[in-house]
Amino acid sequence: MKYTYVIKRILYSIFVFAIVITLNFFIPRIGVDDPAERYYPPQGNMSEIEYEIIKQVTRQQYGFHVSTWQQYMNYLEGLSRGDLGTSFRPGSPSVSSLILGRLPWTLVLSVSTMIIGLIIGVLFGVIAAVKRGRWQDTMLLNASTIMIALPSFFIALILSFYLGFELEIFPAYTDPNMVTQFSWTLESIRRVAQNAALPVLSMVVGSVISYAQGTRNAVIAVTNEDFVLTARAKGLKQGTIRYKHILRNSMLPIVTSLGMSISGLIGGQVVIEQVFNWNGMGTLFLEANNSNDYPLMMGIMILLSGFTIFAILITDLVYVLLDPRVTVGDKR
Amino acid sequence: MKRMRSIGTFIKRIWSHKQGKIGIVMVSFLVFVAVFAPLLAPYDPYDVSQRAAKGLPPSRQHLLGTSISTGQDIFSMLIYGTRVSLIVGVTSGVCIAFVGSILGVAAGYLGGFVDSLIMRIVDIMLVIPTLPLVIVLTNVLGRDFWIIILIFVALGWTGLARTIRSLVLVLKNSNYVKAAELAGAGRWHVMVRHILPGTSHLLIMSTALSSAGIMVAEAGLSFLGLGDPTAISWGKMLADAQSGGALLFGAWWWILAPGLGIFLAVFSFMRLGIVMEEIANPRMKQTSSVYKIFKSLDSSYIEEVFNSMDDYEQIGVIESAGGGETHETDA
Repeated sequence: MKYTYVIKRILYSIFVFAIVITLNFFIPRIGVDDPAERYYPPQGNMSEIEYEIIKQVTRQQYGFHVSTWQQYMNYLEGLSRGDLGTSFRPGSPSVSSLILGRLPWTLVLSVSTMIIGLIIGVLFGVIAAVKRGRWQDTMLLNASTIMIALPSFFIALILSFYLGFELEIFPAYTDPNMVTQFSWTLESIRRVAQNAALPVLSMVVGSVISYAQGTRNAVIAVTNEDFVLTARAKGLKQGTIRYKHILRNSMLPIVTSLGMSISGLIGGQVVIEQVFNWNGMGTLFLEANNSNDYPLMMGIMILLSGFTIFAILITDLVYVLLDPRVTVGDKR
Repeated sequence: MKRMRSIGTFIKRIWSHKQGKIGIVMVSFLVFVAVFAPLLAPYDPYDVSQRAAKGLPPSRQHLLGTSISTGQDIFSMLIYGTRVSLIVGVTSGVCIAFVGSILGVAAGYLGGFVDSLIMRIVDIMLVIPTLPLVIVLTNVLGRDFWIIILIFVALGWTGLARTIRSLVLVLKNSNYVKAAELAGAGRWHVMVRHILPGTSHLLIMSTALSSAGIMVAEAGLSFLGLGDPTAISWGKMLADAQSGGALLFGAWWWILAPGLGIFLAVFSFMRLGIVMEEIANPRMKQTSSVYKIFKSLDSSYIEEVFNSMDDYEQIGVIESAGGGETHETDA
């Protein structure tokens, strides 16, 4: 029973991914007859004939001269080889190489935000859940509503202004040398940490709040479960119940959702990378957007969606296979 | 007539709630400012020719100072910015409630093919990163005001539809709906007359909360320089402040003012939403309201936890220890 479910689930993920890929293929083709027009919008100072020639060249170069169906097939065929297409940048670099160059820098920010946010957030969440209804809990609730109304890029600007420009504790803009002169020396790593401090700090605030809320609600949900009541009835010590029964069981949904949250983090990180001019995938995406570099934009979208699909799949499977309480029932 | 009265009592109950009163006062204030912006603004916010007034700190002449690059009056810009934020936020919020309720009720009540089609669309939208998708769509469709609202609605209905659907699944089995069905009421009649009113509190609340969420998203989009280029919006003001050297020259007023604008607008709509939730659903006070905020705002994390929980309900039974036999094991 479980294994049929696993296979079904995997097939479903592949189906969703296929739809996402198809959407990504068609989005740049909305509203234009010829994709070349989308990729090279007409410039003001160009004559009719010049533009026609440029379109012709673009069609040949990027394979738009065949039918849409054939283009789609070529696209799928390329993807199956792990080829995300060719960027429109000078020199026609491959999209995958551009993304791979930026991915580590993006992950530096998102992973450290996640780790710091998780540690502090879980701590706050547990405190709020244990002291439910007391001032610690109310404070978390109020802090949540306040922080949610402050966009992360505004926090970033304030931090950049105060800690970066006024007090000069951390660099307010990313040092370009951080990337170009990077090597695995202590000095270099320290420089990355210094430059990453403000971007991470501005994202950590929101991350802490959301992990804290998640933890609080998960802990309270577990506290209301019958097995906790049973443990109380058995006369176990409060501390034993708290750590062995409640905390352990409420950590499962939080830990498994980490994989899923990272893709959302990277998506939302676009704005923060822009504020600090951080050399990551977010700025790559915006650069691509500004130069109408659709293959690059679509490549990043496919990567992020694929990652989310994969993370959701893994989480589901881990739950079904590991959590004894979840059984796959009849589909009714 | 009866419907009107119930909405009236609902507003009265919000008014008698302390937090609700604050929310209503703040939202009405924002609406007032947006409507009467031309009368309230002391200067023309579009006037970029004031060479003499560049980068002035707050003073009696310029309450919030002026911008460094163009000498625009920040206070006037702040007032005009209310318009973009409110129009985009509230219009999108109302449209999202409309689309989300129709699709959610249809999915929950009709079931079968309609249900799986709508839920598959929700699944697909969920895995595509939202902000990048919005950026690509503005690139393809244009950056006009209404197109941006359209994009927000097209991407924003999924969470609400999901929540409505699960509520409808409960309502569907309630006695009054069964009674209506037995009395021979058609599907359309049951959906519009019996199911939809049962979800109304959720819809009103979601309108307030998703408006707040859209305001943040709109600010982010304009901050990236991807909003409507002709409008004065708070996000765009922040972007101008950053590129215009506000950080470098210490023009704190230029950053603080639009940020506070965003904060006030989002906060007051959120307050209103939370209070509505508490009034409509007093049992769930404390826990659920914050869940709802996180669900309707951009936070991916809580939403994912929720979705994975929803999936359980679809695939099987979560038996709590000592929960005893369930129907599934019997069947």
